[in-house]
Amino acid sequence: MTTTIQPRLTQAFRFLHARYADGVAELAYAFDDGEPLVERIRFPAAPPLPAARQAAFDAALKLLHLVAGVSYYKAGVPPKIEVADGPLDADTADLLDALYLHGLAEFAYRNGLDLRGRIAFPRVGSAPSPLRGEGRGEGPTSPQAGEGRKPDARQAPSLDLPRRTLVPIGGGKDSLVAVEAIKSIGGEATAAWVGNSPLIAACAERTGLPQLNIQRELAPGLFELNQRGAWNGHIPVTAVNSAILAVAAILYGYDSIAFANERSASVATLEYEGQQVNHQWSKGYAFEAMLADWLHAHVAADLDYCSLLRPYSELAITRAFARLPQYFDVFSSCNRNFRILGPRPADRWCGQCPKCHFVFLALAPFLPKPRLLAIFGRNLLDDETQAAGFDALLEYKDHKPFECVGEGAEARAAMHALGERPEWQEDALVARFRGEILPQLDAARLALEPWLRPSPEHRVPARLRPALKAIG
Amino acid sequence: MTSNAPAPLPADAPWIVMKFGGTSVATLPRWQNIRELVASRRAEGARVLVVVSALTGITDALKQLCSEGDQDKRRAAAGAIAQRHYDLLAHMQLPLPAALGARLDELARLAEQGPAAMGELAWSALVQAHGELMSSALGAAFLSESGLPTAWVDARDCLAAAALPNQNERTKLLSAMVEARPDPALAARLAAQGEVFITQGFIAREAAGRTVLLGRGGSDTSASYFGALLKAARVEIWTDVAGMFTANPRQVPGARLLQKLDYEEAQEIASTGAKVLHPRCLSPLREPRVPLLVKDTNRPELEGTVIGPEVREHAPSVKAISARKGITLVSMESVGMWQQVGFLADVFAHFKRHGLSVDLIGSAETNVTVSLDPTENLLDSDAVAALAADLAKVCRVKVIAPCAAITLVGRGMRSMLHTLSSVLAEFGQLRVHLISQSSNNLNLTFVVDENVVDELLPHLHELLIAAGALRTDDAALFGPSWQSLYGSGEAPPPAEAWWREPAQRKRLLALAAEATPRYVYHLPTVRRQARELKSLAAVDRLHYAVKANTHPAILRALAQEGFAFECVSPGELAAVAAAVPESAPLLFTPNFAARADFERGLATRATVTLDALYPIEHWGELFRGREISLRVDLGRGLGHHEKVRTGGSGSKFGLPVEQLDAFLRHADAHGVAVRGLHAHLGSGILDPGHWGEVYGQLAALAERIGSVAFLNIGGGLGVPSHPGEARLDLAALDAVLRKVKAAYPHYALWMEPGRYLVADAGVLLARVTQTKGKGGWRYLGVDTGMNSLIRPALYDAWHEIANLTRLDEPATGLFQVVGPICESGDVLGSDRRLPEPREGDVMLIAQTGAYGKVMSSPYNLRGETEEVVLDD
Repeated sequence: MTTTIQPRLTQAFRFLHARYADGVAELAYAFDDGEPLVERIRFPAAPPLPAARQAAFDAALKLLHLVAGVSYYKAGVPPKIEVADGPLDADTADLLDALYLHGLAEFAYRNGLDLRGRIAFPRVGSAPSPLRGEGRGEGPTSPQAGEGRKPDARQAPSLDLPRRTLVPIGGGKDSLVAVEAIKSIGGEATAAWVGNSPLIAACAERTGLPQLNIQRELAPGLFELNQRGAWNGHIPVTAVNSAILAVAAILYGYDSIAFANERSASVATLEYEGQQVNHQWSKGYAFEAMLADWLHAHVAADLDYCSLLRPYSELAITRAFARLPQYFDVFSSCNRNFRILGPRPADRWCGQCPKCHFVFLALAPFLPKPRLLAIFGRNLLDDETQAAGFDALLEYKDHKPFECVGEGAEARAAMHALGERPEWQEDALVARFRGEILPQLDAARLALEPWLRPSPEHRVPARLRPALKAIG
Repeated sequence: MTSNAPAPLPADAPWIVMKFGGTSVATLPRWQNIRELVASRRAEGARVLVVVSALTGITDALKQLCSEGDQDKRRAAAGAIAQRHYDLLAHMQLPLPAALGARLDELARLAEQGPAAMGELAWSALVQAHGELMSSALGAAFLSESGLPTAWVDARDCLAAAALPNQNERTKLLSAMVEARPDPALAARLAAQGEVFITQGFIAREAAGRTVLLGRGGSDTSASYFGALLKAARVEIWTDVAGMFTANPRQVPGARLLQKLDYEEAQEIASTGAKVLHPRCLSPLREPRVPLLVKDTNRPELEGTVIGPEVREHAPSVKAISARKGITLVSMESVGMWQQVGFLADVFAHFKRHGLSVDLIGSAETNVTVSLDPTENLLDSDAVAALAADLAKVCRVKVIAPCAAITLVGRGMRSMLHTLSSVLAEFGQLRVHLISQSSNNLNLTFVVDENVVDELLPHLHELLIAAGALRTDDAALFGPSWQSLYGSGEAPPPAEAWWREPAQRKRLLALAAEATPRYVYHLPTVRRQARELKSLAAVDRLHYAVKANTHPAILRALAQEGFAFECVSPGELAAVAAAVPESAPLLFTPNFAARADFERGLATRATVTLDALYPIEHWGELFRGREISLRVDLGRGLGHHEKVRTGGSGSKFGLPVEQLDAFLRHADAHGVAVRGLHAHLGSGILDPGHWGEVYGQLAALAERIGSVAFLNIGGGLGVPSHPGEARLDLAALDAVLRKVKAAYPHYALWMEPGRYLVADAGVLLARVTQTKGKGGWRYLGVDTGMNSLIRPALYDAWHEIANLTRLDEPATGLFQVVGPICESGDVLGSDRRLPEPREGDVMLIAQTGAYGKVMSSPYNLRGETEEVVLDD
């Protein structure tokens, strides 16, 4: 094919094929009749796949193909989705429809698009229930707490997977809290990550755990599509990483994948023309439940997918992280992609983005001030130019930022706690909070303590549940 | 008599104390080196006392042994330590000397016994003392065996620890002090025993007879104590670096070796950051006026640093600049607090109670601000929170961190303030929290935000040299740069200026005889600079920033070298189009350009750069369907002068990063593709790391924009003008750029140097019109000034000035070189040493190929300055 595809004018997005051989998964997509866009995912030192796990592996690989397609689909957002090897069963189609609709909600909002009614994966039998998921950030089902699973749900066979856990590492505080929680109960775990971020590698190294670094090579054609004006924006990358790790769990043999997504990930960022938009939808509880159920039903009854930190608020997690000084000089939650690491705080924390603002604020109540400032290399709360950024976190004058940050009330509680502390209260933005914002707030709803109590809502399997004690 | 057996020394021969550290005593070759050095001092006619540390790693191993509760493990540890010494003996092919054997036995016994009998601290001190006891015994055997009879001296018999008030058992045993005063009896007693001696660093004995340790920096301090006791001719500290430098070489590779310091200056430098010497090792030498010499064991030929009594024959100079990081400030504010007796005493009592020690203090009528050094107590306990809570009861308190203290050190600092204006201007750009200047007039300290320090320090070091505050022209005080002594990949020395070659000089004199003033451009130098830049493998496209010099011959020469061209106005576009072939790519990068300028730019083949929101917001249709480049402001500026800084809110250039999203929305709405990102932070930058940072930051921004294909990191490549300024190291720059490129291979890298290509190629020729004496000043007048060359007046730029007629005559006079323009600022160079001039002499102002003619003006209607091009 030599015709030049104009991504925004395409009519169909096609899932061509997914293959696996010798540690490399090859996922192919195309717009209309364009050149195939081939993504490769490399699993290092991949063992031969036991025959007993072949069916599970095939199912996981198919899911990965469908989920990872979101990176390409969004370049054109064509009206039609085609799957080369035939329509999906209802479960799978529901999962994908929800993921593409809600996971791309921020992308759609930012680009002024409306994806409702546009995303329909081909499915066997009847069309999807017409309003499923629409206008509801929580997605199609409201999952039950704890072991919640529909009793009539279909079950894939149990594969007797080794009792060990893949813990995705992101370089930020959350996954490190999860790692230490699992270590505290003597659980066997591997630090896993996708891509070649030197920051994540440094954090993984510091955990002392065995490491699994999977490489994802986006199709080069995507870069060309971008140059030709493709739509661009946020994609639900946690869903893609989850699907990659599901394949890895079957390939290498793990019975659990323990993410570190916290409670506030389920809260929508804003509502836009009747649709809730959540920047971190694929880190939310609804997606966790859907994917976990789907894996039990289609891949292996004994493969658990959960978030270890689901019961906790950001503040409870920062409190737990404040007890892990061994990570202070390696971690970063900053959303700037630091491809080149340096020794200075400014080489890991941009100090400008909402993530920097939030983590600074949320750690502050739990660390000695000089220690916190040494981590960031500067005092973000004594810098008037950062006022707008912190206002957004506090949901004062603005909506919550499109980032993986805590809830507004949580940020207000942290700021209020600092306002009570003599070593903080003269800092520019803390003083501003006390003088200007605090009088407008209901003092009864500013306590820190309620945020430190875990909620009962989670899907942590019995084997890992004792680890929750280490978090608090 | 052979050189191995010089004549016996008289009883009153001078003493030299030589101290060698752990790595210097750990291997046979190092000991052979020590033997040579000691023998050479003995040959000078001096008695030598060698002070040694423990073999490297042994002190740590002994500490580890002390912390071991288990007897078997202690025994094993003592065995391993003994084995290190056996191994070295084997290399030396020496039998076990009895003295060392006795030490090893005692260590084994101490390990066996454990701390119970002697008490934990006394036992631990004695165990640790064995590191030095063993290394000195081993050294005595080696030196004696190799023909240099050496007597072993027990340092504990010479150094008596002083009993001090407020000393607890721990400080008494593990960080003792000695009051060392010249002791002629000891010197005589030793002199009777021989000529070469070896003893231990780090250890002494207290009144009750127990072995004590001198704490951190202990071996250097021991050497000083011995220097004072023996009233030595000098103390030599042999280490792994040639001495103290004007700055920490890890932060400032161009730091210069300090060849002479007085005790107070050296102590101040050591206290504010230099790690070469422990500050406490200087005070014992001050009263007996024993000089201390720091030398590099591996490079004994280097001068090193001599520290001695104050010398008055040098002009005052800043000696060093240092930075200490991790500082926390506590600012206390209260209106009613003054006149209250005891208020400050109460305030400081809180600091004491929370275990926080105060360093710097700054005060005003209603505010006292103090600094706290980084300690574990500060970082990991709630001490600061508790302190703030207590202080908040009596005043408003603010905790400011993380800060860094930047200290300038030099005797007579207050008399140098007027030379520091450019340095002070730099601080004017920053948040300065505290300034402190002590009454001893040795230092000036600024406390600033910590995150600015890494870039600021090398920059300030350059400014100090350029301002003449750090007098690197005084070769008696300042030695070579660290980079030239120890750096790898040192840039080659600058080629001698083309106009100094006799044939070129003759041509220039002939051109000047025809007419002056004249600019002369040497094209081979332009080509040489162009080829140098082409060696930057990481750069995909080089543009010549034509504003530096738009002479058609230069444009053609650079087009032949394959350069693209960067223009900032329709006029420049036209000049370039007239001179270079159609195939040469053009870049149009205007600032605050009118709509019509963009219309004209878009009508050419140039890639257009926008640097504001306004054009895309209000004239978006103009750019519909175009591919453009976007200049962003990364939020800070750099450069040798405020007026050449082009980044930061105080500069009019670039789109602020926070407006990027808005820009992209407008661009999208008009079908405009942002194909490139551009940033340019300033001019005259000599630190390669700077472009790496700009490049990395642009790449990180580009990742948020799908359409970007190239990154333009600007120019600003520094051209050193001042003596002592290092050249920009292009190999280092390429390495930095390649590292970033490896992380972001999908973006093409562009640069747009200007001055670097043409500055050296141009000279301005003028003729002497007259001289004038006025008070102590002498003025040398030439027939052109700021009308031809405005850089000295505008930027305080320094241009070398030479009397081309008398190039080989001695420079005996000190002149202000001035032009004929009716402006007091019409000064081309101040305080220049030049030969005695005569009317009609040809004066050459160097490095005027860039921003010379193009910035000239008709002011005073003195006519155009001609331009002449030399092609060979």
